[in-house]
Amino acid sequence: MKWYIAKRLVWSVFAALIILTIGFVLMDVVPDQGLQQVEFQAQTEGQSGDQAVQAYEERRGLDEPLIDRYTSFVTGFVQGDWGWSYEYQQPVTEVITDTLPYSMMYGVPSIIISTIIGMAIGLYSAVNQYTKTDYAATFFSFFGVSIPNWWFGIILLVIFGSFLGWVDLDFSHRVAETADGDLTWLGTADSSHPAFIGENFEGERQIGILSPTNLKQLILPTFVSMTAGIAAMMRYARAEALEYVDAEFVKTAKSKGVSNWRIVVRHILRPAAVPLSTILVGRFLGLFLTGSYLIEVVFGIPGLGLASYEAIINQDQNLVLVTLLVPTFLVLVSNLAQDIAYVVLDPRISYGDRT
Amino acid sequence: MSVHTDTLLDVEDLHVYFRTDTGENVRAVDGVSFQVQPGKTTAIVGESGSGKTVTSEAITQLFPSPPGYIPEGSVTLDGQDLTEISDDEMRSVRGGKISHIFQNPQGALNPVYTVGWQIREAVMLHQDVSKTEANERAVELMTQVGIPEASTRLDDYPHEFSGGQKQRVIIAMALACEPDLLIADEPTTALDVTIQAQILNLLKELQEERDMAMLFITHDLGVVAEVADRVVVMYAGKVMERGPVMDVFQTPAHPYTRALLECLPGEGGLGGIPGQLPEPTDPPDGCRFADRCPHAVEMCTEGGQPDLYDVRNTEAHTASCVHFAPTMDPGVVLDGSERVATDGRGRTSTDAGQPSDDEEAEHR
Repeated sequence: MKWYIAKRLVWSVFAALIILTIGFVLMDVVPDQGLQQVEFQAQTEGQSGDQAVQAYEERRGLDEPLIDRYTSFVTGFVQGDWGWSYEYQQPVTEVITDTLPYSMMYGVPSIIISTIIGMAIGLYSAVNQYTKTDYAATFFSFFGVSIPNWWFGIILLVIFGSFLGWVDLDFSHRVAETADGDLTWLGTADSSHPAFIGENFEGERQIGILSPTNLKQLILPTFVSMTAGIAAMMRYARAEALEYVDAEFVKTAKSKGVSNWRIVVRHILRPAAVPLSTILVGRFLGLFLTGSYLIEVVFGIPGLGLASYEAIINQDQNLVLVTLLVPTFLVLVSNLAQDIAYVVLDPRISYGDRT
Repeated sequence: MSVHTDTLLDVEDLHVYFRTDTGENVRAVDGVSFQVQPGKTTAIVGESGSGKTVTSEAITQLFPSPPGYIPEGSVTLDGQDLTEISDDEMRSVRGGKISHIFQNPQGALNPVYTVGWQIREAVMLHQDVSKTEANERAVELMTQVGIPEASTRLDDYPHEFSGGQKQRVIIAMALACEPDLLIADEPTTALDVTIQAQILNLLKELQEERDMAMLFITHDLGVVAEVADRVVVMYAGKVMERGPVMDVFQTPAHPYTRALLECLPGEGGLGGIPGQLPEPTDPPDGCRFADRCPHAVEMCTEGGQPDLYDVRNTEAHTASCVHFAPTMDPGVVLDGSERVATDGRGRTSTDAGQPSDDEEAEHR
């Protein structure tokens, strides 16, 4: 087993390197907008365009040959120095630690809730296959899968933000922070807090991640990312559970006098959990490094997705590569984690020895 | 038939229908009656699709519902009608008073739990015991069904057992709560021949030790002769013939039973029975077997399935065939080819040779 994991890890590194190389070369081939802008600006101001370009390249280290930049990026990445983000004017690692919490604020509850609800509906559907409730659940899940998240988000913003005025159209990341700009779970602040600029009130209001104001602005993004999540989870859970609903061992359990509830949970869900765990691990890891691009763009949430999106638009090379590479590596590692989970959950699978 | 004091299970006029998408009813079991006596074995015999498995699953209502349902009939265990009790009461009967063994041991155990867990579950569902006690009980049961070194095998998963051993584990699980009745649905069909005999012997031993009744479902007449005290022959959801095993084998009365016996290797024909089962959604009038019967006469295709008439005036042995009605001559079926009646379907000449084989079988 140890040998197997080591082998898989080496392969993961190798695959990540290939993806990194492709990304690196692509970023280099694409015309640099920043560079063109600098050149254009220098020329309109009557200065030498070439000099400005050279200065820009030196500043960003682009004057060195591709291979040198590549090796220095890789060594830096391995050593934990992930480079400087010119877009955010701070180290890439800091960009990630600053933005990740905002992705998690709506992502974690969305995944947990959608997994629980999706699995419950999927199991119910499987046990009551071809009944009216099953058809209703199927209809809902196709609705959830088919509807584009960004479109649904905009529609909800229009309805609940513009027409009904129940939620603010702007996402305020300040609400989750203290006056100094640090994230906090729950606290209070008076009207001098940056989130309350332009508002005059006496006394103190609650701020922080769990404050009502923050939770309120998270409802819509959480809901939107849940619709697709529930739908997908429901389909998977239903399909997996259906494999076992008519299994002979379920009939055996029934003939032993096992209650319906226990049959569903112990004798159907448990074997179905093996493949379902795969989906779950992948979904969590996917979120941690890319968030959801479109949801964050639509709602203006300063999470990882938005950061990665901005980095690509502005060709912030280091940030793009890191937001490309880390999820890649995590997907590879999560695949490994899934295979290990298989061994733990399904006694029939064994890679050599189980210990 | 009334409930005798020496009857453990009394199935009376049982019907099991399955509603199809088009709204039709598939009449899988269409009026079946039989009894099981305490400590004795009743075997239900029939070809595939005759409704024998559905009959066995209807006793504790294991068939999928919907679409399956019991439109009429009663299943009485110890004076209690199982078709009318609540779900909770049914759960305590399942595994408690009536246990099942199924055909395919490969699929009958849950692959993600150890066999110990699965036997323990059966014990703990019906008895108020601790986990340790249930474990001890599981080891005891596994030893009784002949699994060597049972205590070390408790934590093994089903895939670590061979087919025959799996069936032994399933038997152990079925016996966990000392049931009054064991329903064995083709328990040896999926096993190879050497193992079949072992499992049959094991079942017989366990039955004697525990004075347990058994309902044995099979298509294998050889197995019936070995295990059964009484036989019920089913065809197309109906009982064709029933009686003590010796009577039925020595004097097979219904033409279907005779045809089945002829299909045994070494009994002459290996050709099977020509024709096929009638349409289960719209069964024909008269006897279900009439279409394939060499002795069919005009009245065989009229009315419903014939009553179960006594064969040779022994009350226990009855056959659902018009030739055994009091006014008819059973010799048409029993005594050979010369007097075979025909319904004008032109079968007489081609089938004339076969009944003489019956006669041989009868006198053997």
